[in-house]
Amino acid sequence: MKTNEFIEELKETLELEDVEINENTNLKDLEEYDSLSVLAIIAMIDENFGKKLSGQDFQSITTVKSLMELIGKDCFE
Amino acid sequence: MNSPFSLKDKNILITGASSGIGRQCAISCSQMGANVILIARNEERLKETYNKLERGNHLFFSQDITEYNKIESVISETVSKLGKINGFIHSAGIEMTLPLKVMKPEYYNKLFSVNVISGFEFAKIISKKKYLDSNGASFVFIASIMSVVANAGLIGYCSSKGAIISGIRSMAIELARKNIRVNSISPGYIQTEMMKKAEEKMSDSKIKELRKNFLLGIGKPDDVANACIYLLSDAARWITGTNLIVDGGYSAK
Repeated sequence: MKTNEFIEELKETLELEDVEINENTNLKDLEEYDSLSVLAIIAMIDENFGKKLSGQDFQSITTVKSLMELIGKDCFE
Repeated sequence: MNSPFSLKDKNILITGASSGIGRQCAISCSQMGANVILIARNEERLKETYNKLERGNHLFFSQDITEYNKIESVISETVSKLGKINGFIHSAGIEMTLPLKVMKPEYYNKLFSVNVISGFEFAKIISKKKYLDSNGASFVFIASIMSVVANAGLIGYCSSKGAIISGIRSMAIELARKNIRVNSISPGYIQTEMMKKAEEKMSDSKIKELRKNFLLGIGKPDDVANACIYLLSDAARWITGTNLIVDGGYSAK
């Protein structure tokens, strides 16, 4: 998947309409990022990449980039 | 004075709007000033409902609600024509009276897809920021008194209606942050086509016995529609996650 496509998916999952995000955005700074939205992101990653992450995995997540690294660099063009 | 019970200018989507409780909800909501969006499979009967509405900006969609992938286009078209959504009534439902020994997995699937899953899918999509009014919304699911008590031969129906009242509690908690209230109504015996069909399978003595248990007599679609208006209106602004029993005293015994 292309990085910009992933960011769009992430925006859709978090329902970010007026907020722009990029690889350096810290997810924890977003109002929409909470325990339920983490579950939604896990489902989105499973659907798009076939990878099952756990809530535990997300403890170390800060930026969008760190999330992409967790999914695996090889998953992105 | 503005009544807190008014639905003036609210856009309210209604499934199962071609008959019974859904049809009456549509008519009553339009009388309270709402723009209603009617959804059901049967176009002819939808038009009959449409022609009974008070004046307003109403729409109707002839759509099978179990075609889940088409739900978003209905909502999207509604929002582009009328503006964002303020309310939703899931009144579509099917009844099935069959003893356990002849129930089949496909019967449960059918009951759950119409009575439960389609309604939850509508709720999911309406909850998106791009479709939801900035002041939030009110969702009302029509369950049944058979979600709280039961009769024999209704395993599929009772469990599907029970799923509604359990599901709306979780939904209410989850969607409160978006200022969406989610409630269900559990009607008792309401005089509708669906109930007439159910009665055709019963003996006269069974029908008599059943009717006797409704202390205030058999209900009318109006009785449920009025409860719906209340839950959709600002008068119910502090009510969410609850199941309102409208059963003429049936379950009090």
